[in-house]
Amino acid sequence: MENVIFIILNILFLAILILFLLRQGQGAILLEQSHAKQIALLIDSAKPDMTIILDMNKAKDLAEKNGLAFEDIVIISNNIVTVKLSEDGGYSYSFFNNVDVGNPYPDNSDPENIDSYVFVIGGYK
Amino acid sequence: MYKKGGSKVIALYWFVILMIIAGGIFSMVYSFYHYPYDVRELEGEIMINKIADCLSSQGNMSSGLFAEEGFSESYKNNFLNECHINLNVEESWNKEPQYYFEVNFYKSENLENSVFNIPKGNLNLMADCNIQEEKEYKREVKCTEENFFSFHGEDLYLIKILTVIKKTEKNVK
Repeated sequence: MENVIFIILNILFLAILILFLLRQGQGAILLEQSHAKQIALLIDSAKPDMTIILDMNKAKDLAEKNGLAFEDIVIISNNIVTVKLSEDGGYSYSFFNNVDVGNPYPDNSDPENIDSYVFVIGGYK
Repeated sequence: MYKKGGSKVIALYWFVILMIIAGGIFSMVYSFYHYPYDVRELEGEIMINKIADCLSSQGNMSSGLFAEEGFSESYKNNFLNECHINLNVEESWNKEPQYYFEVNFYKSENLENSVFNIPKGNLNLMADCNIQEEKEYKREVKCTEENFFSFHGEDLYLIKILTVIKKTEKNVK
């Protein structure tokens, strides 16, 4: 009986540890930051007339879980990218490339990219 | 009786060890995920590529760089517009811009003395760049430098591009 309790406690301990590790990388703050920086760097390296399609699968799940619409999570204004995955969250990062970026939108045209966002790079400002 | 007591002590030790390991893992993971991603080096490299693309194409320097008597001062003054770079992207940075870059041109026969240079942004950041080797200041700014050769007619030039990015608030805790 004692051995069974001992094994159960060990399994429980390992499960909590694994759950903790898995959850750490998926928090809103972390995802907001990584996506905002990723998008800013992509725009910095972009050239006019490019179209960037970015997979935001995890961000979509989290935003919907927090009651936010997928089409509202990325805002680009005055060379600043803001990603918002929770009601009172939001993370902004700037880019230096002086290009016009239209309003980013979810890619609804292609069923394979349903979790992706589209960034259309226009001309130089 | 002795055996039972012994196994209980071992189980207790086992859980103490597990708790110590868990504590270590929790603290490591917590500290890892609570530091922001530092993307300044990447940002600096992207800026260098953008400047290089603007200055040179297929091994030849941009014709706009030169006036009749040599390098063009008006191109230098208007460099940010020519290369479509915006260094004042956030209002709060107006007091202290977070970027600095410098392009130096050297003739291939004299790689010691620069014949022309284009500095833009917050020059004060260069000081942080120079003391970066000291550990205390290591995370203040990120300095990235790259060099390449390019032709202008028959003349071969070495072009050195240095970028310095601060943005500590967003990249360092």
